[in-house]
Order: sequence, then structure tokens, then C-alpha cells
Amino acid sequence: MYPNGVTYPAKLQAIIDLFVSLPEEEKRENLIAYAEQAGKHEPKPGETFELEDVRKDEECTDTVGVYLHVTPERRVSFKVTLGEKVQTLTKSMASILCRGLDGCFLEEILDLPSDFVPQIVGGHLVRIRSQTVYYVLTRMKTACKIYRDRLRAEV
Amino acid sequence: MSEPVTVYAHPEALVSTEWLAAQLSDGAGDFRLVESNEDILLYDTGHIPGAVHIDWRADLQDELIRDYISPEAFAAVCAKNGITPETTVIFYGDKSNWWACYALWAFRLFGHTRVKILNGGRDKWTQEGRPLTKEKPKFPATNYPVPARRHDAEIRAFFDDTLAHSQAKKPLVDVRSPEEFSGEKTHMPEYPQEGVLRGGHIPGAKSVPWKKAVNADGTFKTAGELAEIYTQGCGLRAGEDIIAYCRIGERSSHTWFVLTYLLGYEQVRNYDGSWTEWGNRVRAPIER
Repeated sequence: MYPNGVTYPAKLQAIIDLFVSLPEEEKRENLIAYAEQAGKHEPKPGETFELEDVRKDEECTDTVGVYLHVTPERRVSFKVTLGEKVQTLTKSMASILCRGLDGCFLEEILDLPSDFVPQIVGGHLVRIRSQTVYYVLTRMKTACKIYRDRLRAEV
Repeated sequence: MSEPVTVYAHPEALVSTEWLAAQLSDGAGDFRLVESNEDILLYDTGHIPGAVHIDWRADLQDELIRDYISPEAFAAVCAKNGITPETTVIFYGDKSNWWACYALWAFRLFGHTRVKILNGGRDKWTQEGRPLTKEKPKFPATNYPVPARRHDAEIRAFFDDTLAHSQAKKPLVDVRSPEEFSGEKTHMPEYPQEGVLRGGHIPGAKSVPWKKAVNADGTFKTAGELAEIYTQGCGLRAGEDIIAYCRIGERSSHTWFVLTYLLGYEQVRNYDGSWTEWGNRVRAPIER
């Protein structure tokens, strides 16, 4: 599947297909629409997770929390909490990834290449804000890796 | 003993949110409002009515060379946004106006001197519950004449200037966080590492983090408080040649604005190459 002749997870592929078809202006509008829906991916009261990674920035960006749920079949889902001052593009990517990676196998996330990000965000935004666009994906992959390592350590 | 500083040197360089709101409601504003942010999509999520968006990277920097755009490109940016050389441009943005100050400084590079900052920036405006809109204003294009030159020599320092400055033991202000100054970190706390190979500071630089100049709401501290920080605390004297730097030149633009417009220092330059140049430069001397 990855990395050559890549087939992305189906839900993620649908989002990629949508963004690839959009002109720059509509791409931005859709990114903002996803950012505005980021609140829908917050943990619900009482919800439990296999791993919670909440980090608070001291100076620049705000708190980003990544919550990982893994089923006995090793299928994953993510929830996120985003501080008020988190950048819009980070909110967009958090929302897109929560939706696009929902139900993937743990290994799929770990092996997922990041080259789909420019297809969604557009080459221009990646060039001028490269530090922002990969942030949440990195955090989600890190959470998966920590969880997998923890499982291995328990064996 | 010199007289205590009680007023800003150029109070006209600041406008308040109250003043701006009144201008907008009267429809009397004879200025162009410009939003400049770190958050590239923030303007599109909503902005102060009538504001145009100028991005520090996409609009003001050259895409191929690490430098600012040409005078021709600057004239085109102004023309597109309905700005003439006579237009007063009021900048505001996120992050306590870092990028607003950066954009203002870049406008000054091209000789556009009618510039102001919205005190407190976007955060203060929104915290006060003032209106935002997604409607992008359209202004008739102007014919902004191509500036004859860029004023780099007056307000911008390059590596060689800064090295000579350091060797001559002239005042250098490092406006980064204490952890960056000490070399413990090469980037802002919890911020992505953007490829700096060595940590520390330029020899002789004094640490005055940019944040010291602002209140909790992002507004600038009073003239007296600023003088205490920079004049008494850092020992900057009137008439001195001063260089400020940070990591890529945005936080030091903020300090450049404070020193130039609020405290009235006349020879302040921003070393925009800053630590991402110095910390990577082969054989550049570093102090920790």
C-alpha cells in the first residue's frame, strides 16, 4: 500500500480528492470550514482513551491535545482539543485528520506518508507555513508510536 | 540626570481600538487598515471591517532569495490594496502585533512613512467584542509609484553590519526568550525547530525579551515603563546606533517599533537575518 503506489485510507482519500479538485480560493474556504468544525472532534465527557497527549505551549502556539482510542482490533480514532490561539491551519488539519483517519489500523497511521498534506493544503500554503501544516499529523503519529511501544513493552 | 520619560516619542504612531471603532462607525476613516498575521488563514476567518490582508511572507518577501520584494513588487502590493504614498496605513494582527510591526517595518524599508499600529492588535479588538467580517473589501487600484530605493541602510542590518557592531561593542538587543538567549533552545519554547545548528547569542548582546514591552492585553507599556526597561535597564542611550534581532526578524520588528516610535531612538536597525542566519553561519562567533 504505502509508500509507492500509495493508497490512502478511504476517508482520507475522499478528502484529498475534494481538495485537489478545488481552486486556491475554495481550498482556503474549505480549510476554514474544517477549522470551524474542529470542536466536533473534542472528547466527550466520560470518554476514555488508550493514550492522551496534551501539551501546552509557553509562548507562541496554544495547547493541543491528542487523544487516541484503539479498539481490540487495533483500529484507531482520534479526538483533539485545541486552545483558542491555535493556528487556523492547525485546526483545519486536526479536523481533517480526525475524520480522514477514523477507523484506520494502528499500523496504517504509523506508515502513513505525509505527502498528502500538500495536496490538501496546497503547495503555496505549505511553502509559506511549512512548520504548521504537518504539526497535528506528527502529533498523531507520535501518539500511535508511543502506544505501540507501550504494547511491545508489555509483551 | 535626564528627565523622566512620560510620553511616547511618537504617540501618533499608535491608534486605540476605541478610536478605530469610532472611525469605522462614522465611516470617516481616511486610512487603509492592514491585517498581518502569523496565522495565515486567520484573516479569512474574519477580520476588522475594511481591513485588507498583507502576508509577511507571501506578499513582502522574495520567494527565491531570502530578501524582501523589489520596489516594483512593493508598488504592486500597494496598488492592489488601494494604497498611495499619501495613505496612512494602520497595521494590526495576531501575536501581540509581531507581524503587524514586521509589515510596518517592511513598508518603512520602501520609504512609506505614514504608518501606525493598532495598539493591542487583533486580540484586543476581539476580546472587546468588536465586530469582525469575512467580507473582503475591494478598493480601486492605485498607481503607487515604484520607490526609487529600499532604505535598507537606515533601518536594516545585515550579517556583516551586525558582526562589526558586535566587535565594536555597540548596543545589540536580543529580544528572544531567555532560553534562546542562553542557547538552551534554538527556537521559541515549544515552537518548531527551524534548522538552527548552534544556540546562544551574538557576543555582547543584551537579553531583553520582546514580551517585556507589552501588557497582558497586548498593548504597549507606558513610556515610563518602557524607558525603565530599555533606557535604564538595558542602558541604551540617545543617539546610539542600536541593532535588535530575534530568530527571523519578527519579534525584533516589534522591539524596533518600540525603540523607534515609542522611545524615540533615532538609529535603530532590525537584523532580520537574525538567529536563523547567525546560528548557522560558519565561524560566526557565539556567546553562551
